[in-house]
Amino acid sequence: MSRPTLWSTADMDEDLADAVDAELSLYVQQGQNPAIYDQLGAQIEQLEPLLAIQQHMAALAAVPDVVKSFIVSFHQAILNRDLPSITIFYTTTFPKLTDRFYSRTEWPEPETIAPLLSSNEATEDQIHIFLVLYRDLYYRHVYSRLHPNIDDRFHSYENSCELFNYLLNSPSSADDNSDEPAPVDLVLPEQWLWDIIDEFIYQFQVFCSWRSKVKSKTGDELMMLADGTGVWSSYSVLNVLYSLIQKSKINEFIVALKEEQGKESARSAEEVAKSISPYTALPLYRTLGYFSVLGLLRVHVLLGDFTLALKVMDQVGEFLLGGSGFGAKANKSSFTALPTLPATHISTHYYVGFCYMMLRRYPDAIRTFVTVLNFLQRMQRMRNYSGYERKDQYDQIAKTADRTLALYAMCHSLVLPGSPFTRLDDNITSTAKERYGDQMGRMSKGGSDALAAFEELFLYACPKFINANSPPYDDPDAIALLLSADPTEPAEGSPIPTDPTQRHLRLFLASAGAQSPLPTLRSFLHLYTSLTTEKLSSFLDLVKVSESDQETVEEAEEEAIQEMMVLKQNSRSLSRIVPAQGRSEKGNDASPAGLTVIGTLLEGEMISTSDLNFVIDDNTIHIAESTVGRRYAGWFIKNTERSQRVLDEIRGSPLPVFKGKVGQKQGASGTVAPGAESVAINDSAEAAQKKAPTKTVAWGGAGTRTTLDA
Amino acid sequence: MSASWISPPTRTELIENLVSGVDRYNPSNVGILEDYLYHQIRSQEYDCLANLAILKLYQFNSDLYNPDVVVNILIKALGASPLPDFNLCISLLDERSPNASLDEPDPLPALLPVLHGLHHLLYRCRFPAFWRAYRSDQLESLRDNYTVECAGFEDSIREVVIRAVKSTFTRIGTDRLGLYLDLDSPEELQAYVAKLGWTFNSEGTVVSIPPNPDNQIEAVVVQESIKLPQLTKVISQAARP
Repeated sequence: MSRPTLWSTADMDEDLADAVDAELSLYVQQGQNPAIYDQLGAQIEQLEPLLAIQQHMAALAAVPDVVKSFIVSFHQAILNRDLPSITIFYTTTFPKLTDRFYSRTEWPEPETIAPLLSSNEATEDQIHIFLVLYRDLYYRHVYSRLHPNIDDRFHSYENSCELFNYLLNSPSSADDNSDEPAPVDLVLPEQWLWDIIDEFIYQFQVFCSWRSKVKSKTGDELMMLADGTGVWSSYSVLNVLYSLIQKSKINEFIVALKEEQGKESARSAEEVAKSISPYTALPLYRTLGYFSVLGLLRVHVLLGDFTLALKVMDQVGEFLLGGSGFGAKANKSSFTALPTLPATHISTHYYVGFCYMMLRRYPDAIRTFVTVLNFLQRMQRMRNYSGYERKDQYDQIAKTADRTLALYAMCHSLVLPGSPFTRLDDNITSTAKERYGDQMGRMSKGGSDALAAFEELFLYACPKFINANSPPYDDPDAIALLLSADPTEPAEGSPIPTDPTQRHLRLFLASAGAQSPLPTLRSFLHLYTSLTTEKLSSFLDLVKVSESDQETVEEAEEEAIQEMMVLKQNSRSLSRIVPAQGRSEKGNDASPAGLTVIGTLLEGEMISTSDLNFVIDDNTIHIAESTVGRRYAGWFIKNTERSQRVLDEIRGSPLPVFKGKVGQKQGASGTVAPGAESVAINDSAEAAQKKAPTKTVAWGGAGTRTTLDA
Repeated sequence: MSASWISPPTRTELIENLVSGVDRYNPSNVGILEDYLYHQIRSQEYDCLANLAILKLYQFNSDLYNPDVVVNILIKALGASPLPDFNLCISLLDERSPNASLDEPDPLPALLPVLHGLHHLLYRCRFPAFWRAYRSDQLESLRDNYTVECAGFEDSIREVVIRAVKSTFTRIGTDRLGLYLDLDSPEELQAYVAKLGWTFNSEGTVVSIPPNPDNQIEAVVVQESIKLPQLTKVISQAARP
């Protein structure tokens, strides 16, 4: 017997049913009187914000005092545009507080801390902006230490949009009646600006990879994704970056700077900036524009478009990567107009080098990697470099450096070794061998083992590619189809691996694989100056010379010749830095110091990357090898200078003083050879001008000369 | 060579603006770029970056996807070997959702391994194998539908061959050259060789290739060149008594 339900009056007593009905009708009557409900509703509404405020107050009370005072002073600093203190707050205080209080939880919500801000004299707008910036830090913390859920992702996107909207489109001040947006009066440290752009792209990348995992989504998430197709779309990300670049006119600025360089009465960077546009004049926008170019480079690489990535770096690339006398390294002081943070340096070189690698331009890739790895090694020696007290940032840089080293190791093995023009840096090569020695050994030998090693390093070192499009969340049939697809069964008829990383890996392995038989070929060519193709094919074990079957012999020969063509093809590469044509006759030196650099990153000329040159004359192969002469000049010069320095030091230093007899002897020998002493004094006067001539520099005289005379 | 690859002289100003500016992301411009592709096909020109722009638009707007265009782009890129053009095109072919709205079944997934194979053969200079594969029955659909429309496809492949041969050989046997170029009859071969400006020897069995930077080899000793400024310090120290 089931329990009687309260509302099915059929199971109840007649009386009780009547009573219930009466009660119900009472309520119905009341319902027909909306005023009562309104009143009740109004009371509830009044209570709600109070409730919320109570909740917030409770949360605020839970915030430690240190944090509260930090937020207040941070806000004050931003209001006062006090760049040094903002920098300190951002780079040191914030991470410290995070580690101390919030290493596992989120920072207080923006709504919670809002009441704190009204204590400073700030307008609504300014408070609002501070909250936007605070949210930026808040979400960055969530993404790095905790796991963002779908709400976090959507909200962080909205926050970023709001920030960029503010920077790009804020209406001009009341005095100016035009409708043009005006630059914003805000000062932020460069490190923060780089982090904003970096984080924006990072969140985009993480969102895309999360989005493509259709199977692991809950029902709610699927719905939210279906509604929010505009969130983190590729177009909006690209739009932001392009708008920042266009607003700040960074490319025109660099072009103008380049022109100024040649002029005699060059204007300063600031003047040039002012003449271009009001936005460019502000360091905030210049920096943001510059970082956006680097961000665009990264986004294009993530989407798989390597030529476009190099193309957007047209002007900036010459500036950053140097080579036309117009580099960040050369006259750093004159280009303080554009910042060079180590993080940007490393990130840029990593992506540019990767693009070159996928374009098979290995010499250029190697050059880029060597530049940045050298820079890093120098930086590591100066660990207390300002801005690097943030350990997490240093870790990230170290990780990128490691991946760059892996890419370098791969390129090193792919460029046929021994080229006089690529000048592989021994320092970096030895570092790479320490770290990846095993893989490098396998890669240089060729064969299938090499491919496994290449795959391993490539998967470790490549950027996390993304799919530009989301799975069709807004199309329920398509989603159902994807969800029901059997994961173990390979996707039908799809020879392109759907995962972008796999796709790029396959392309790279195809190129590397085509090169795997070449090292053995090279080693045979080393041994001869001329060789017949028959003999070569026999060396390659393709067929025994005594084999009588003419066809197979011919086939093998054909195979050998085709490999030779591949070898020739691979020893030619496009390069941006070309040795100057200095040789006219046979046997003349080709000076490696005479390098010319071609303009933008995409351009280049064919150079030879191998020291082994050959040509086929019908059936004979002629081989010519280039060697590098011994380089002794540097060693001799260095040691000469060092010896001279030691000599000067010794001459300039005082004699050690001995007591007793030896002292008398000194005095005696000093008087015995006055002539010699005067010679010594003359010597010392010239050689060590700073010392007074009466110093006891008698060794030159007393020591050797007396013995010689004697 | 590279400057003309970045910006071919046959590219019009309109296309130049499209490719170099922000307008390349505008989906409504895809028609202009596709027309330019067909122009390239008909008149034996080639513009890699413009074709990559088409593929990028397809990447972002999957409803614009047109498999014929993609196949044509890939075919054109085959003729650019050993430059990495083919690989760049493949890099931009993202996955597409299975429910894409197409009238006919998508021919691309079937053709793609074929094209990959052809490209690989070209990259590894296996020219006779390439011609055999190309002329085989399996590739009949490729030949009938696509390459027949592409004017001078075979000639562009022959140019790939010539590039490889030119850099490796100073003299090459006529038979071998004919095999590489897939020109069977002697008259065709002679006509082609004459067009290139290469000469036959007296018996007609060997073709001589004129000298170019690649096939002239010499043994070079890379000497260090010591410049005077490097030595100033040493010399000035020696000048002191």
